[in-house]
Amino acid sequence: MARSTGKTERSLEQMYDNDPERTDAAVSGHGPGTSRRGFLGGVGLAAVGVAAGGTMPFGRHMPAGILPTALAQDKKSTPAAAKGPIHLDFPGKDKGLVVLGERPLVAETPEHLLDDDTTPIDKFFIRNNGQLPDEAKDPDKWTIKIDGEVNNPFEITLGELKSKYKPQTLRMVLECGGNGRSFYAPRASGNQWTNGGAGCAEWTGVRLADVLKTAGVKPSGIYTAHYAADLHLSGDADKPVISRGVRMPKAMEPECMIVWAMNGQPLPNVHGGPVRLIIPGWPGSASQKWLTRIWVRDKEHDGPGMTGTSYRVAINPMVPGDKADPKNFRILESMPVRSIITAPASGTRLAAGTRNVALRGASWAGDLTVRRVDVSIDYGQSWQEAKLSDPRNRFDWQRWTTNVKLPSDGYYEIWSRATDSEGKTQPHVAANWNPSGYGGNPFHRIAVLVG
Amino acid sequence: MGEIPSIGSRFWWVDLSMATPMTAKRAKAVRLLLLALSVASAVFLVTVGSVAQQPAFQPRLEEPEEYPDLPGREETFYFCVACHNFKLVAQQGMSRHRWDGTLNFMTERHGMPKLEGKERETILDYLEKAFPESEAPTGWQNPFLKR
Repeated sequence: MARSTGKTERSLEQMYDNDPERTDAAVSGHGPGTSRRGFLGGVGLAAVGVAAGGTMPFGRHMPAGILPTALAQDKKSTPAAAKGPIHLDFPGKDKGLVVLGERPLVAETPEHLLDDDTTPIDKFFIRNNGQLPDEAKDPDKWTIKIDGEVNNPFEITLGELKSKYKPQTLRMVLECGGNGRSFYAPRASGNQWTNGGAGCAEWTGVRLADVLKTAGVKPSGIYTAHYAADLHLSGDADKPVISRGVRMPKAMEPECMIVWAMNGQPLPNVHGGPVRLIIPGWPGSASQKWLTRIWVRDKEHDGPGMTGTSYRVAINPMVPGDKADPKNFRILESMPVRSIITAPASGTRLAAGTRNVALRGASWAGDLTVRRVDVSIDYGQSWQEAKLSDPRNRFDWQRWTTNVKLPSDGYYEIWSRATDSEGKTQPHVAANWNPSGYGGNPFHRIAVLVG
Repeated sequence: MGEIPSIGSRFWWVDLSMATPMTAKRAKAVRLLLLALSVASAVFLVTVGSVAQQPAFQPRLEEPEEYPDLPGREETFYFCVACHNFKLVAQQGMSRHRWDGTLNFMTERHGMPKLEGKERETILDYLEKAFPESEAPTGWQNPFLKR
């Protein structure tokens, strides 16, 4: 093993000397204030598994302040520093997904991979805020607690949930609250989603309303608060990763569900299995994965992800990039109207002389429906209306098709623009800047080259 | 450094390949740890090996050298990767006051140790210079542009 003097190790050694606890946290995957699950539950686990030939037990006994060199990997196996998109390599997931972050694991679906009427599981985007919990050994024994401002608080297993309530299957869009964030200028904080923090799957489960009715929500119960089994990245087991909720009228909508299946398959762990919430039309973070508890509250929930500028947008428009006044923010509820072109893919080269191009796409609008979709091949100087399908059920997306005629060979941009049922269309640019970039829904724009 | 067993040069996101000699005490500790881990792994594989079915997602290895070479890079990198990968940091582009607010947010919301004094300045200096406020949105890129 070649060794030479270098800055990296010196500074690491220095950091151990200065702050052994935090440096150990950095190098081991323990959080500072390590919990029992801090190490074993960490994403580092997978790497450890590879290095040690299996899942590493007893990691929690590793003394602080020791460089865990045993987790070493051969330098030769190191992927080169990535330039351009990093593609996902995860069991059961399409390699075309683009990784936005690995810890926590976040990956988006390029628009051209959203070309199916129902988004297959392997193409569905991934958004985690913490560490993936361990896979449930016995999913039907998974327990969810309903408590707070209810007359009959209770716990129910997933098995009981399946047998005691009437199941339903709906195809609905799930969309990350930050979808479209990368279109903001100046850059907004957070994962730089293009339009790929969205997908439309068939969800099977029971109505949240039916479960809440069993609990008997008191008149004082005006807001839900959702909790889950994932672990905070710091390793602090007492810290919820994220806990959001919704106003009671939203929770009582018949399409809000506690679900255990996705496209007819048991809900995969990476998508929140064995059981999660689906609160369609609103930021995906309300659709708590690995659901363990719904706490009915007598006031607006104030869990992590509910306050400050998280999942909030400015009430009075603010100067882009300026300091935010938290008093000027409201919770983002319905997601804005959006359309995407799913075929052809941006970057497609067409044979010289090609004049007719068939377009396919999707559109959706949070709580609303899409009234029309238009496309332009001349940077918005003229538009033509696409053929738009009806949603199968509320919160389903609406697929659209059209043909465009290109007048010559050369470089063309094709833009799409949806209009919602209240008449709002997508803007040219991401509007209403806010520090964390919610609500960015400009036209979708692809480029093709003829010849 | 012949007394350190040849066990590879890195563990998942921290590069040790440019290491200076470890202290004898630390080297001994590492050897003991290695022994403990190899025994533990063997025992584990024999007894409950079939349980290890967690999807084998391996985060890409990150190292500070991937990021702009400016003062404070190592300090910033190792401070942030205690909880999350550095790519999350590097995809941002913010003014100093927003980076400052982000550090506060990390402490208030995510339990990051409070950064103060010189350490805070070092890290803020790096963040501001390496990932400055960007007026251009990143979201759309011309696929035909030769870079």
